[in-house]
Amino acid sequence: MRMENFDSIVVGAGHAGCEAALALARTGNRTLLLTISLDAIAFLACNPSIGGTAKGQLVAEIDALGGQMGINADQTALQIRMLNRGKGPAVQSLRVQADKNEYHSQMKKVLESEPNLFVRQGEVDKIEIADDGYKIITTHLGLQYRAKSVVFATGVYLKSDIIIGHTRQFIGPNGFKNSATLSDSLAALGIKLLRFKTGTPVRIHARSVDFSQMEVQKGEEDILSFSTMTEKKVENRAECYLTYTTPQTHQIIRDNLDKAPAISGEIKGVGPRYCPSIETKVVRFADRDRHQLFLEPEALDTKEMYLQGFSTSMPADLQLEMVHSVIGLEKAEIMRDAYAIEYDCIDPTQLRPTLELKTIDGLFFAGQINGTSGYEEAAAQGIVAGINASLYNQNKPQLVLKRSDGYIGVLIDDIVTKGTNEPYRMMTSRAEYRLLLRQDNADLRLTEIGRRVGLVSDERWEKYCQKCEKIKKIEEILSQKVKLDEKLETLFAENSEPLPKENPHFADLLKRNNLDIFKIDQAYHLFGDFDKRLLEIVNTKCKYEGYLKQQQDEIDKMLANESVEIPENFDYMSIKGLRVEAREKLSQIRPLNLGQASRISGVSPADISILSILVKKANSSK
Amino acid sequence: MEKCIAAIATPLGTGAVAIVRLSGKDSLKIAQSIFISKNMQDVQPRHMYFGRLCLEENVFEQCLMVYFKAPFSYTGQDVVEFQIHGGVLLAQKVLERVLQAGAVLAEPGEFSKRAFLNGKITLDKAEAIIGEINAESEGELVSSLQVTNGALAQRILSVQESLKTILAELEVGMDYPDETEETKLKTNVFSRLKKLSGELEEILENSKSAKYLSDGINVALVGRTNVGKSSIMNALLGKERAIVTDIQGTTRDQIVESFSFDGVKFNLTDTAGIRDTEDFVESLGIEKSKQSAKAADVVLFVLDGSEPMSEDDKQIEKLLQQSAKNVVYVINKTDKKRLLPKKDNEIEVSALQNKNISALKEKIKKLVIEKEIDFNKLVITNQRQFGILQEAENVMQEVLKEQMPSLDIVAMQIKKIWQILGKITGNTENEDIIDLIFSKFCLGK
Repeated sequence: MRMENFDSIVVGAGHAGCEAALALARTGNRTLLLTISLDAIAFLACNPSIGGTAKGQLVAEIDALGGQMGINADQTALQIRMLNRGKGPAVQSLRVQADKNEYHSQMKKVLESEPNLFVRQGEVDKIEIADDGYKIITTHLGLQYRAKSVVFATGVYLKSDIIIGHTRQFIGPNGFKNSATLSDSLAALGIKLLRFKTGTPVRIHARSVDFSQMEVQKGEEDILSFSTMTEKKVENRAECYLTYTTPQTHQIIRDNLDKAPAISGEIKGVGPRYCPSIETKVVRFADRDRHQLFLEPEALDTKEMYLQGFSTSMPADLQLEMVHSVIGLEKAEIMRDAYAIEYDCIDPTQLRPTLELKTIDGLFFAGQINGTSGYEEAAAQGIVAGINASLYNQNKPQLVLKRSDGYIGVLIDDIVTKGTNEPYRMMTSRAEYRLLLRQDNADLRLTEIGRRVGLVSDERWEKYCQKCEKIKKIEEILSQKVKLDEKLETLFAENSEPLPKENPHFADLLKRNNLDIFKIDQAYHLFGDFDKRLLEIVNTKCKYEGYLKQQQDEIDKMLANESVEIPENFDYMSIKGLRVEAREKLSQIRPLNLGQASRISGVSPADISILSILVKKANSSK
Repeated sequence: MEKCIAAIATPLGTGAVAIVRLSGKDSLKIAQSIFISKNMQDVQPRHMYFGRLCLEENVFEQCLMVYFKAPFSYTGQDVVEFQIHGGVLLAQKVLERVLQAGAVLAEPGEFSKRAFLNGKITLDKAEAIIGEINAESEGELVSSLQVTNGALAQRILSVQESLKTILAELEVGMDYPDETEETKLKTNVFSRLKKLSGELEEILENSKSAKYLSDGINVALVGRTNVGKSSIMNALLGKERAIVTDIQGTTRDQIVESFSFDGVKFNLTDTAGIRDTEDFVESLGIEKSKQSAKAADVVLFVLDGSEPMSEDDKQIEKLLQQSAKNVVYVINKTDKKRLLPKKDNEIEVSALQNKNISALKEKIKKLVIEKEIDFNKLVITNQRQFGILQEAENVMQEVLKEQMPSLDIVAMQIKKIWQILGKITGNTENEDIIDLIFSKFCLGK
């Protein structure tokens, strides 16, 4: 049989698959990207938005590494907003409403114009490992492809069921075809599978909505863009609307709970707690008389609108009744029904922090197949899996992003070390060093890593170097001393404080409560036409110096353990000093280093102390 | 860089000398900040320095200090050792001071572990160190289990719970910005934090050993007149105190004076002499004595050894049997011939000749400390509790002091406090907070 050869094959062209394929192709690998449907490339299957709290940080990090998501979001944005403005720099995140049709077609265009990348429609039925370690992929139509490495980014397509009321259909999201046999092939390789559940709300025709009863949410005008590569300011082209459920909505749900598959027990898959269906919310938070809902545009060339907060798997007729009880939706026309979806995914603790399967070299997994949720989480894993598949092809040491490097590091470390029993969503509270892992410094943290692995283009690198240069200049200006004159007196008088005895530095002024870099610039005209974003970074650095140092100290402490590597074949079971539970957990996860070992639940600090001694013993007796 | 660790290096119990050891790059800096001696600015390694260790404002303890410069030390790091007078409480107090000054309490076996990792201990000793770590962490487990059942632990747990709830609300406010009103959240969080800070302080105060350490042991002197209470008091205090004139018929206030012994503070209460009048039972003296006897950790029942038990003595004895917990029979005037019958828990002293006064102090200390605090079992936990509670309260004060902190900073610090307290309660899993976020709040798309 004819068999075509590639360096790498990526299975699935969702958000993880696209980043993985681009990372591979851009680092010189002849790459095949297989997808069940070319029309499902980078499809925004649920909410028409990119970013949001913690996810905005992920997008910025993907961008810094040389990924596509941020650029694509900028190019297709309908609205851009900064969340959590008043709550401190650590938790500020960008979110764009994206045009879901443009988002898909724009990404498809990018993939199509990548010279090393071959995009092909085809359902993968089977994967086999040849004796030489090469992977052989067979499609439903019997075509075969061979590659050194494979990235699985199949999303929620594995044996997926769509559930609406009592109707269960064996199809993929949004009516696309699902993948009927691939998960069996994975199981045959000894991979442990899980079954998860998620869902999406109804889509409503804009002409049937009474917007006058809703609160308008506009985009913000002073934000430039997601990606540092975007030159033009992102334009706000559409609006969102805020509305609420009513007591009547809740009554309808309560009266019909027997018809809700998630509650009646018909759905067995584990659903995400952070994204409960409206019926779950009504049951669990019985004391609330209303829940807020957002109505968001899906795209400019359609009237479909997404009703955020209204996920449900109730029967279709009830969905209509429920929607009609919402303020402003009394006469709403539903265009697409809400549904729940159940799917196979793998237990992510079977992966290394590189996203490579522990048991089979050269086999990588990224995105929802690893039990995560969200476009951004998927893309983040996709770019890492792509980078590592590429490094694997080149026989180079693989990339592990640490928890102190970025949210991507936190995300991957969490799922491969602790596993997950529900679709894993990124939250800022999961990142212990979030004051350092800000969206505004993602490029400062990660561009060099992206450059090292060959994914950061010359253009991006040039921009990054200029930015560093400019920040250095701003800091130099701030290190100058301030004259004790009337101007300074006025600034201090605002806070009714006397002038200090010695000349302060400008940087010292920044630390005062009533002052920031912009006020100082207003008074002293120091920075001329420096980019506002750069001034903000330096402002944060100065203002939060003490807290940043505190986090840096914690990181240093953590890195001490992170740098102690544990030999791959280390025999935990024979260590008498370790408790039995610790031995078993360590043998299962096989951590790369002491740091990862310390984060496994069930491994105590005393176990780590003991382990550190034995590891040193093992390493020095080599 | 590794943190400077500290611990009591000598076995717990009553040796003549106790050693508190510090290891880490900052150990000398920390020592310099609390130890006063000549030439402290230019400390020579392996020289013994005699000086005073400042335990709290105006409270000093004389002791010796040695500095070992890296790598020539037990752990291979910079090490400082304080050699202090023996006794668990004093050692604990010094340790507490060192922790306040910036050191962290050593984990089980951590000195040996550092020594090993720095190549100071050979490989064949590795197994022994593992045994040490296991033994110590097991010992710690036993004591923390005991604490878990105790009221103190319950309170710490409840503070930790409250912190977790606050944290969860803050996190929801940040991770789900659409769902929260910010200013309301902030005011609410701060008022609750203030309350929790008050509670932490109270726990610190009430923590039994903390109470003895900071407030001292309350000792009441009880006895009829003329048995030599005042002279015993003076002997214990080691100085002449003005004698309160005994004016008949007036209610006399109690006189409280303090002295320190082995690093422990003693608060002496003179119960103003119970007069041998006919109507003794009805007199105010009996109420007073009852009260002081009840409040005291130790009652010194002073008797005149040269006389047989009088009626008053017997009355007081009966009274003490009802109300006091630790009674020591102090048989005074042993310079004269003994006529008083032997008592069970007695000690013979002579205030006049200053005989056995130190032994009396030692006896009081042992009585309280060995009876009230089971050091063999609880001391590790206590050391930890001190360090940990103090650390937690310090961070809490920092948060409350900050004028305009943003929510992310407040959350960061609350999480830190929560994690610090988790070292006592064992609850440190971040997952707990995330679980709470989901269980308490109604979120989703």
